[in-house]
Amino acid sequence: MTRLPLIFAAQARFPAPEFESYTLPPMSLEELAADNVLWRVLVLCVFLVAGAVCFYKWRSRRAMLAYSLAGLAVFGFLFASCPCPVGMFQNIAEGIAKGSYIPPGVLLLFAIPLAASLFVGRVFCGGACPLGAIQELLHWRSVFVPRPLDRVLRLIPALLLLIFLVCAIYGVGFPLCYYEPYLPIFLLDFATPFAILSAVFLLVGLFVSRPFCRYVCPYGVLLRFFSLFSLLKPRITAHDCVNCRLCEQGCPNGAVLPPENAGNASQRRAGSRRISMLVACIPFALAAGGLFGYLGAPVLSSFHRDVRLVRELDAGVRSEAVEAFETTTTTREELRARAVKIRNGILVASTVAGALFGALVMAELIAEARRRKEEEIYTIDASLCFCCGRCYAACPLERKEKHHEK
Amino acid sequence: MTRRDLIRTGLLALILAPFASLFRRRGETGTGYFWQIDPDKCIQCGKCETDCILPQSAVKCVHQYASCGYCLFCSGYYQDRRVEFNTAGENMRCPTDAIVRTYVEDPYFEYKIDEEKCIGCGKCVKGCLAFGNGSLFLQVRRDLCRNCNECRIAKACPANAFVRVPAEKPYIYRKPPEVKS
Repeated sequence: MTRLPLIFAAQARFPAPEFESYTLPPMSLEELAADNVLWRVLVLCVFLVAGAVCFYKWRSRRAMLAYSLAGLAVFGFLFASCPCPVGMFQNIAEGIAKGSYIPPGVLLLFAIPLAASLFVGRVFCGGACPLGAIQELLHWRSVFVPRPLDRVLRLIPALLLLIFLVCAIYGVGFPLCYYEPYLPIFLLDFATPFAILSAVFLLVGLFVSRPFCRYVCPYGVLLRFFSLFSLLKPRITAHDCVNCRLCEQGCPNGAVLPPENAGNASQRRAGSRRISMLVACIPFALAAGGLFGYLGAPVLSSFHRDVRLVRELDAGVRSEAVEAFETTTTTREELRARAVKIRNGILVASTVAGALFGALVMAELIAEARRRKEEEIYTIDASLCFCCGRCYAACPLERKEKHHEK
Repeated sequence: MTRRDLIRTGLLALILAPFASLFRRRGETGTGYFWQIDPDKCIQCGKCETDCILPQSAVKCVHQYASCGYCLFCSGYYQDRRVEFNTAGENMRCPTDAIVRTYVEDPYFEYKIDEEKCIGCGKCVKGCLAFGNGSLFLQVRRDLCRNCNECRIAKACPANAFVRVPAEKPYIYRKPPEVKS
């Protein structure tokens, strides 16, 4: 409590002695410079180009596996995962919200995979992302997630993206990075309680392909959206498709879509009726989402440092945080005002985020109800394809073509 | 194809928009990417030792010689309830014997942190602050820190002493007095 005045008083306690033959040792700190994020960016660029060549030019499953392995070794173990592009959206959101300077390394890590997805799709997920790479390599037998369940679970990343954005903007923290399930593996630290999370994800990942990428990763939402507009898109063998279905069965991520016919008139009528009903439901979805966000806001704000501190002060708890607060010059009123501001901010942001999520669910339902473009052969949904190359390996014609080339 | 080009330009602009922040002020504390401890906020709770993701914490004690009093009886070196002034374990503050004491001139002694042994518990920092000049303080070593995006210690720090610093200025010294370079 009297610590601060003591520090300043302490300066005069023992004045620095004047030595005859002794010189002060230099501070050795400055030699231990911070490593620059920028050279990771450079390696990332090299990886993305290499991945695109493996996937679009060589069309080889083996090359993609090698790519994943290299990605895991370099970005996972050599760079110890952090900082990785997956979590960078939080830093960007925080930087924009605070109006502070965002380091170029952070910006580039965030933007490069997105920019790349506009040209080569989700090659980043294929192996340059250490989280994607470890899931790709530690996948044993594919259990297919039923389509309706898959559709529902696929909404989780968008929800998480909205929640994490609110957390980052209002200074609650970066929950994605805090609970990142594969971090204990990359750090080879299995003694933390967080290792339980990694064990769960690894076990599920043995049977369900890429559980984190498909049902958790919030950055994947952005990549998914951006790769819809990709210049290059993964294609099943361009010509002579015999509709053998092997590629569809080979894809554990549900990215291969079967041929689509136009349907008859009554089917089309039923479809458009369904869509108009869904459109009519949009206001209700927005309201329900908003309510959900409004009710969830206190939970989010309770994780904020200042809000928690105010609660402890009010409850009379003698925690370390309370003791530390008492050594500062901040008054309780200032702290309380700050906490109220944060709480109100989160309330508004969370309500908006909830409504946005409601809109997103409706958009997804409408997209599901809509008839796809007519297609005679098997096609790949670029937004869901993780560029693993399994369909290339499964396609009998692809093999024949490669054989001929040799 | 023009529609697609339009979409692609729009999305690229969306990506590039945050780059506007590059024109803002830079080089200030709180504006970088790397974690560091503000020694003026630190309360030496001991979480730096236990909460780091590394098996041995990246936080270590730093000695700012310029503000050290070179005391004969250093309160960062000896326990409060010491039995005698000697280097027997029960008299020492540091649990890992990481402070090396060498005679300089009568009556002055130099105290050096053996970084191999230091575990970043902050006990000596507390001792030095209580009776001395406060020349010992904790810092995140840039060569050891893995730069987790969400630092576990920062999350656990009760005093909110962890701040982001720019790469050009990765260490925060205790303010008074200024360090001579």
